[in-house]
Amino acid sequence: MRVWSDRPELLHLAIFFAAYVLGCGFAQALAIIPETGISIWLPSGLFIATLALASRRSWPQWVVAGLLAELVGNVLWFHNPLPVALLIFAGNALEAVVGAWLVTRFGRPVRLDSLPEVLALMVLGAGIAPIVGATVASATLAWFDMQSFSAAWPLFWLGNASGVLIAAPLALALFQDWRSGTALSEPRWLEAAAIGLILLGAAVLSLSAYLPFAYLIMPPLLWAAVRFEFRGAAVSLALIAIIAAVFTISGDSQFAGEPGSQTLKQIMLHLFLAVSAISAVIVAAISRQHQAALFALSERERELSQLVDLLPAYIRRLTPEGRPFFFNKRLTDYIGASLEEINAIDGDRLEPAVKDYVHPDEAGDVEAAIRSAVATGQAYSLKYRMRGIDGVYRWIETRAEPLRNQDGTIAQWYSVSIDIDEQVRLYRELEEREGKIRRLIDSDIIGIVFWDLDGRILEANDAFLRMVQYEREDLRAGLRWFDMSPPEWQEKHARYEAEELMATGKMQAREKEFFRKDGSRVPVLIGAACFEGQSTQGVAYILDLTARRQAEAALSERERFLWQVVETLPVMVDCAAPDGEPIYRNQQLREFLGYDLEALDGTGKSRLAGTLDAGVHPDDLEGVKTNYAHSLATGEPYARRHRLRRFDGEYRWVETRAAPMYDPKGETVQWNVICLDIDGEVQTQEKLRLAQERLSRASQAASLAELSASIAHEVNQPLAAIVANSHACHRWLMDSPPNLARAKVTAERIIRDANSAADVVSRIRALFKRSTATRSPTELGSVVAEGLGLMADEVVRLRVRIDTDIESDLPLVSIDRVQILQVLVNLMRNGIEAMDVTKGAGVLGLRVRLMGDTIQTEISDRGPGIAFPEKIFEPFFTTKEHGMGMGLAVCRSIVEAHDGRLWAERNEPHGATFIFTLPAEAKAAK
Amino acid sequence: MSKKSPVVAVVDDDPRLLESLEDLLESAGHVVRSFPSAEALLVNGLSDLDVLITDIGMPGLSGLELRDLVEKDRPDLPVILITGRHEIADRLRAGGVSRLFCKPFDGPALLEAIGSALPDVETGER
Repeated sequence: MRVWSDRPELLHLAIFFAAYVLGCGFAQALAIIPETGISIWLPSGLFIATLALASRRSWPQWVVAGLLAELVGNVLWFHNPLPVALLIFAGNALEAVVGAWLVTRFGRPVRLDSLPEVLALMVLGAGIAPIVGATVASATLAWFDMQSFSAAWPLFWLGNASGVLIAAPLALALFQDWRSGTALSEPRWLEAAAIGLILLGAAVLSLSAYLPFAYLIMPPLLWAAVRFEFRGAAVSLALIAIIAAVFTISGDSQFAGEPGSQTLKQIMLHLFLAVSAISAVIVAAISRQHQAALFALSERERELSQLVDLLPAYIRRLTPEGRPFFFNKRLTDYIGASLEEINAIDGDRLEPAVKDYVHPDEAGDVEAAIRSAVATGQAYSLKYRMRGIDGVYRWIETRAEPLRNQDGTIAQWYSVSIDIDEQVRLYRELEEREGKIRRLIDSDIIGIVFWDLDGRILEANDAFLRMVQYEREDLRAGLRWFDMSPPEWQEKHARYEAEELMATGKMQAREKEFFRKDGSRVPVLIGAACFEGQSTQGVAYILDLTARRQAEAALSERERFLWQVVETLPVMVDCAAPDGEPIYRNQQLREFLGYDLEALDGTGKSRLAGTLDAGVHPDDLEGVKTNYAHSLATGEPYARRHRLRRFDGEYRWVETRAAPMYDPKGETVQWNVICLDIDGEVQTQEKLRLAQERLSRASQAASLAELSASIAHEVNQPLAAIVANSHACHRWLMDSPPNLARAKVTAERIIRDANSAADVVSRIRALFKRSTATRSPTELGSVVAEGLGLMADEVVRLRVRIDTDIESDLPLVSIDRVQILQVLVNLMRNGIEAMDVTKGAGVLGLRVRLMGDTIQTEISDRGPGIAFPEKIFEPFFTTKEHGMGMGLAVCRSIVEAHDGRLWAERNEPHGATFIFTLPAEAKAAK
Repeated sequence: MSKKSPVVAVVDDDPRLLESLEDLLESAGHVVRSFPSAEALLVNGLSDLDVLITDIGMPGLSGLELRDLVEKDRPDLPVILITGRHEIADRLRAGGVSRLFCKPFDGPALLEAIGSALPDVETGER
């Protein structure tokens, strides 16, 4: 241990120097033989202690400092010749060097901690080293004839040894302990003061009185050494030395006296001091050693206690009665209460303590276990939840065991608790997870199999066994899934599944089949996965698809049934997408149309437009499209009759109805359309309508006659009056003399009545001016046909032949059908009646043709012809005996009301032709 | 004057025709009694009449019904029928009725028919 650095501080050197000089002075004061310096040589102790602590490299400096100090001492007190002084110092220095070398060599480190070190210091430093100094000094004195070697040597040795014994511990204690500077407490100071006083008293008493009394000083000296160790010993020794020196100098000391006895007394003093020093130092060393041992023990105990607190466990110690008397820190930290706080409450604390800190669910068990353990002395182990300072319960595991005395009685209980909350939680989680998996396996919903790629079933649950109708015994006997797979599945497995499992560790769910025990097949859905880190074993999940297959079969059977119903219903069915595009047609409709759904695809039109264009009669197409578009746009049901082209090209009347089908959200899913062939009904209706029309026409003809009669009557009345008046007037004028007055009155009446007749004609004209509102686009051909039908009877009766020449594809004309019919009938009847007179030549020609934008109808007869082609159209012009002359006029007015013309031409060689035109309305329809 | 003018009753619902007939007959020297309906004639009575001219189509009693009634009361009273409807005329002619005129009738022919219906009266035998 290096206390000082290689280069000593100047201050230290100075102190050393001063102390050395003081030591010299002290030696001079106690010198046994004056002028020799032979005395208690304190510098020897100082020198050894200094060198022992200083680095060896610095020794020369210390030696030089010592030399200077000793030379100063020589000059002041010893007065030796310089060579003597130098030689003596050389001895002293050599002694110090040897002593320090020995001490540091064998007694390292130079601490007065233990008895061996102290003994080493005494033997080596105080015993051997002074031999060197004493020998050199004695030899020097002998050489210079100052003293004999043999007389000087023991005194020198004794003086040096005493110096070492007193000064070295003092110096070491000074250098070391005071540097570390542990302050004394107040009681210690008092104690130190008390010892000092006693020591002082004892020293004064012992040193001033009878010599053996000197040893009275030993108890306080040893007391100081015991209590204050080296510091006490060193200070006490220094004190004793000083007192001894003072008494010696003053002569009061028992060591002072006659010169003869002085040498002996001096030696006795030295011995006394040496014995005191040895005793004090040894006791101090023992005390130091004891203190160190105590300190080490307490250190170890502290470490143990720290260890106990460091342990990740809650530790209690309890009395044999179960009362705790130790909690480790972790426990008190955890529960937030110290042992004292718990024990501060009177009474039996076991129950309340358990109740306070143990979870209510386990409190009863814990209490019972403790009580039972205390009663029987049996160790116990428990798991329970304990509440922490934060109010949260954590799981702990507690083990308590008794520690027994030699006689077997229980000395105390040790209880150690470990926090297992995390483990419990993990365990619970694990348990829960395992429970879930177990639930999955045990639930009979899904078949679960543990398999290996060798084809074995390692484990299977009941659901699977039930699926394949095997027993658990069969499984134990060794069931092979591979053998349960039908051959085609074995092949598939070998080819695909095994590879998939190898590559991905999984097999995607797929449908396959297994053989049941009875050899029947069960359809299943199966998915599999390898165990983690395993490529040849795994788990498979299997669902029985039997019920689903049955349901599917039932469903498809139902679907097939419904399909058949739809396909075979004696109506045409069509389904269309929400936008109207046909997506399905039943057999009836396909057969009617003569082509399939897709036949018209790719024509550029939508399927709907294509179908309508191809199938619907051109006359109806526009309306059908409009209605369809309306329904598709609004969702309103569609209903309409139209003609639809059959596969053979015939247009047949159909009735089509369509309604949207909605999904739950109200969106149109599709349109369902039925289409009924009602051609038969329409034809029947048409026939009926024709019959009715014919009937009404007959009645119209009758009413025509009636009308003629009425007209005749209306006209006849004024005419009759006119005629009568004319005759009367004539007669009045023919009288002689003429009765002019009456004639005048009568003539006025004639004028009045003639006007009245004219009014009648106007009224009749008005009568025939029918509104154009009744007009509708009509095929003229159909009207002609109707007219021919009406004339049929007359034609037969009069044996007339009618030659017709009617152009096909005539455009429609907007006409009042009844009026035009009347014109036709009138003209035909006129022609027939004209020929009546020339019997045998009854041929009536009827021709209808398109002339530009008008349709021209010509009716020609082979009668006598007409003399006045224009006049015949004047009202009341007639060539017939019975005709009133209204017919042609009415006809002309009707035709003109239709923006047409009616005129007559002569026929060559004979006969007349009546011609009327009507403006064509629309483009020719196909 | 020795010669008494014959009395002719005319029944027609058309006032114009009634008027013109009255004029014509008066121009021929007949005394004319005009009635707008058969009922009016019957109210007046038939006793002083020599000839009856009646329209057929009238509201209320028709000319034919009037003729039948007159036939019972005065079988000797000649009745001349007139009508505007030729089809009725055709039918009656077919049924043998002779004293029948269609409107518009020929005035001289009517006067002649009246004349021929009054031989006795005209001779003034009473």
